[in-house]
Amino acid sequence: MSHPADTRPRRQTTRRRIFRRGPWENAATGLIALGVIMLMQPFSFAAFGWSFAVILAGTVGFVIVSHFPE
Amino acid sequence: MTDAAAPAPASGTTSATPAKSAPRRLPLKPGEASGGARFFAGLLVIGYALIAMIPLVWIFATSFKSPPDSIAYPPEVIFEPTLEGYVNLFTSRTRQTAEYIESLGPPQTWYEELVRKRNMVISGPSRFADRYWNSVVIGFGSTFLAVFLGTLAAYAFSRFKVPLKDDLMFFILSTRMMPPIAVAIPIYLMYRELGLSDTAAGMILLYTAVNLSLSVWLLKGFVDEIPREYEEAAVVDGYTRLQAFRKVILPQMRAGIAATAIFCLIFAWNEYAFALLLTSGEAQTAPPFIPIIIGEGGLDWPAVAAGTTLFLLPVVIFTVLLRNQLLRGITFGAVRK
Amino acid sequence: MTEQTMSTPAPQQRTATAPGLTGRLRGLSDRAIAWLFIGPTMLLLLAINIFPLIWTVYLSFTNYRANQPGREVKWVGTRNYERLLGSEDIWGYLQATAHFVVWTMLLQVILGLGLALLINRGFRTASFWTTLILIPMMLSPAVVGTFWTYIFQPQTGIFSYIIDWFAGTGALDMIGAPHLAPWTIVIVDTWMWTPYIMLLCLAGLRSIPPYLYEAAEIDRANALQKFWYITLPRVLPFLMLAVLFRGIENFKMFDMVVELTSGGPGSVTELASINLKREAFENWKTGYSSAFAIILFVTVFGLGNIYVKALNRVKS
Repeated sequence: MSHPADTRPRRQTTRRRIFRRGPWENAATGLIALGVIMLMQPFSFAAFGWSFAVILAGTVGFVIVSHFPE
Repeated sequence: MTDAAAPAPASGTTSATPAKSAPRRLPLKPGEASGGARFFAGLLVIGYALIAMIPLVWIFATSFKSPPDSIAYPPEVIFEPTLEGYVNLFTSRTRQTAEYIESLGPPQTWYEELVRKRNMVISGPSRFADRYWNSVVIGFGSTFLAVFLGTLAAYAFSRFKVPLKDDLMFFILSTRMMPPIAVAIPIYLMYRELGLSDTAAGMILLYTAVNLSLSVWLLKGFVDEIPREYEEAAVVDGYTRLQAFRKVILPQMRAGIAATAIFCLIFAWNEYAFALLLTSGEAQTAPPFIPIIIGEGGLDWPAVAAGTTLFLLPVVIFTVLLRNQLLRGITFGAVRK
Repeated sequence: MTEQTMSTPAPQQRTATAPGLTGRLRGLSDRAIAWLFIGPTMLLLLAINIFPLIWTVYLSFTNYRANQPGREVKWVGTRNYERLLGSEDIWGYLQATAHFVVWTMLLQVILGLGLALLINRGFRTASFWTTLILIPMMLSPAVVGTFWTYIFQPQTGIFSYIIDWFAGTGALDMIGAPHLAPWTIVIVDTWMWTPYIMLLCLAGLRSIPPYLYEAAEIDRANALQKFWYITLPRVLPFLMLAVLFRGIENFKMFDMVVELTSGGPGSVTELASINLKREAFENWKTGYSSAFAIILFVTVFGLGNIYVKALNRVKS
């Protein structure tokens, strides 16, 4: 996250900023965490039903996102 | 320890010394740990250690109790030690009438005498020794393979440009994380097809695969710490890559390989889920067998304790002797001491 | 032949001249060595890990039963997943797992961090006692589970006796009583794995450079401030790592609990993996349990990604 992106030429920076790894990786991490909580919480049966979909989305997302440049 | 570098022709010129981490001392922070506070801290830690040891000491003691002593109320701290538990562990016995035992004549050995006191006759050896031996064979076999393959792979990952290196390394680590039961279903089916169910070869392959992930990761850490200049100098001096690997890198890795091997051995020794699901007789290891002893002579706790003691003792000794080498493995290389 | 080449280059003529170059060419190329070295590992992992995994994915969409090999295998789509995620029982097992994971982690973090802070004060013989404390986590979980059943015997076990002696609770049926059994497995796991958390906390504590405390001393920070602003931030990454790793392991927990309570009484300690084993190898619902296995696997894999991310951060 602390990488000095501004040292690069300007046109590339915008694209790199969108596909930068840090924030996307954090989002995927959050999604996985949310899914795990949904899977194991004792409050809502409906949330349990959707938990696997959320975890799957988070995990697949993480694998993709981890190939973005730093 | 690093004399191994001597055969490298480069030893005279390269200034790089092996990355030997100085033994870390406990940092004494100024003003924080006064004598009294330290004494109190020590007291608490020792207290925890002693409480944590109670179960182990208790099992060790139980293995020398007689069956009635083992289920006495209140629990007996002082008792007359006997080897009955160990005799029961290694033999299978049948209950006989007093007349029949009388007719056998005097007991030939001390353990027969011990058994006959309970109106039993030894009918043969139990399966414990076989199971224990299986654990040894499978443990050492899989450790050797995992460390051998792991060393090669770790070297390649550390030194060469491998396409998709990070992905491959992550893939290797992730295989370690699979829940054993989840993998066991297809492996059970696969082994059934291939005739590998309940064979030592099948178990060795399986444990090798499971241990391989750890051994590659750990060993890569060790190779990374060896300066590249060593091999480069050797190559400049006319060694081929393979020779440089054998004569320069391998000797340097000795400590790392030993640490990894101990760790793989302990994992294979302790493993239970695969052993339970994929072995039933021939190749069964000790962990799934020890609980079954309970069923065999009706709650024979001293025998269970004896089996537990014999099974855990090597690991306890390893832990005490080789603690620092083990730490790195347990933490996937996060602790480097 | 190797001995020959070994002895040729004398230490003096050690410049990159002809003999060095030919020596390099005579051997295998770097790329060949790389594949030769990595190949066997990859093949084995593919055969024993990846192939089975793909097979499990396939099976999870069928109604296959491993104990009836002759039976026709039907493709059932996502029905197995729908049944699993619509089952109150499965939800219950995952809650039992959550109870186990949350409480073991909480207790182990408190005890482990506490012990690490105490040990880090550096009293004499600390190293010896630390080694003793480490022993439980090196033992076989299944065997640990087995011998704790003896310790937990309600009438004659030493655990119940000691607790009764101190607290006057009477005989405690730690394994047979539904309100106690979930805590029983938490106790044994805490006994076994507190040393792990302690170990990583110690590693974190030892990574703190002493000058930070010296500086804090000059700024007249009190003990609590030092802990909050210096110790905790440095230990936290290690603690996170430990909790993630043990959390994943306990989410998959099988061996110790099977031997201790085997899921009972009733199903209060029926953790996800234990139920999976029951469905797969006792009820032989292979397709259904494959779907369950995939759900657990994807969860662990997702958490594993986070773990590796944390691991790399700590290592660098």
